[in-house]
Amino acid sequence: MSGLSARSLAKGSAPPGPVPEGLIRVYSMRFCPFAKRTLLVLKAKGIRHEVININLKNKPEWFFKKNPSGVVPVLENSKGQLICESAITCEYLDEAYPGKKLLPEDPYEKACQKMVFELFSKVPSLVTSFIRRQNKEDCADLKEDLQKEFSKLEEVLTNKKTTFFGGNSLSMIDYLIWPWLERLEVLELNECVDHAPKLKLWMAAMRKDPAVSALLIDVKAHKGFIDLYLQNSPEACDYGL
Amino acid sequence: MPGDGTKALAKGSCAPGPVPEGLIRIYSMRFCPYSHRTRLVLRAKGIRHEIININLKNKPEWFFSKHPFGQIPVLETSQCQLIYESVIACEYLDDAYPGRKLYPCDPYERARQKMLLELFCKILDYENTTFFGGDCISMIDYLLWPWFERLDVYGIADCVSHTPGLRLWIAAMKQDATVRALLTDKCVFQGYLSLYFRNSPSAFDYGLC
Repeated sequence: MSGLSARSLAKGSAPPGPVPEGLIRVYSMRFCPFAKRTLLVLKAKGIRHEVININLKNKPEWFFKKNPSGVVPVLENSKGQLICESAITCEYLDEAYPGKKLLPEDPYEKACQKMVFELFSKVPSLVTSFIRRQNKEDCADLKEDLQKEFSKLEEVLTNKKTTFFGGNSLSMIDYLIWPWLERLEVLELNECVDHAPKLKLWMAAMRKDPAVSALLIDVKAHKGFIDLYLQNSPEACDYGL
Repeated sequence: MPGDGTKALAKGSCAPGPVPEGLIRIYSMRFCPYSHRTRLVLRAKGIRHEIININLKNKPEWFFSKHPFGQIPVLETSQCQLIYESVIACEYLDDAYPGRKLYPCDPYERARQKMLLELFCKILDYENTTFFGGDCISMIDYLLWPWFERLDVYGIADCVSHTPGLRLWIAAMKQDATVRALLTDKCVFQGYLSLYFRNSPSAFDYGLC
């Protein structure tokens, strides 16, 4: 899809025009796990879309009109409607577009996916803390915390006796969790899932999904991005282009 | 069906039996704003339900089989399904029960309500409508209400003195039948708070005979 690998727009750039009919636009950043959720759903549902990457270290002024918090992802449709917050964008896409439903129709099954999402909720900030920790030798506490969170996920899979978090087919909750589990390799945190065999099997199964594999980030590029990002470099978001 | 005014179950109490068919059960506490949300939705949708109040300072052991950390609210169906987290419980009720839908049908409007909820702590300005979802009361209003009802009790009603729009919203909410039916008397609230801050186990039953 257009724009996925395009250079990001930064301060001083012209605001993009309105979104053409029949298309939906996502403001994104190639290495952002939150935006990855939205990209996965767009891909999985085969929704025609365009991607505009934003330089998160040098944000365009016009971007704050799309989202006052200035973060990605943001969806914009041809009616000019804006949707923010990654989980909300994913649910919006599932409701607004036809085709395969990623969230279950059954109210209780849907609630179960949302309860699993809550169980996962501490992981993103733990991963961010780990990335920001200067002394990587001194991360035992963070690794232990992550292991604890992953144990909760392992318990869900153990109780459900299914491959994926929503059942035997991949569904919304799997896409919402995936971007952080994808990052374990580049962060050298694979040991945090050593004690979670079902979670490891889930990760392997996820990599076989067409949407997941189409959007996998090259580990070297990812590493390059992280190094520059930690230095607050405005070049970070376009690393590898 | 037993109403809200029942004593909270504490450690040593017997676990309640299964939920009868045709009913849904909510584990709640009379002064908790999170379970207040769910009770508002149960009431607004006219859902037949029973309430079991939980003593949050002296939790019954059996309650941890309903929620891993013993938190409320928790919904329990007659098929033994458990749903927790107040916002998830409210959405479940809206999806599972017929009649008046509290969330809008339009996907964008639904997304907008969910975004507003995220901004709850940072409300700055909102559109020129009576309620947060438009001209009629809807889900987002019920999700926000419990905190504004408590503003007065906590003695911080002044924080809406410079936001006339919010004050108008509070007045409009107090006219809603569902909100009125579940309003807690200010004196009872204050009595509960003063016992609560002294860590008294009888706080939760304040005001009951």
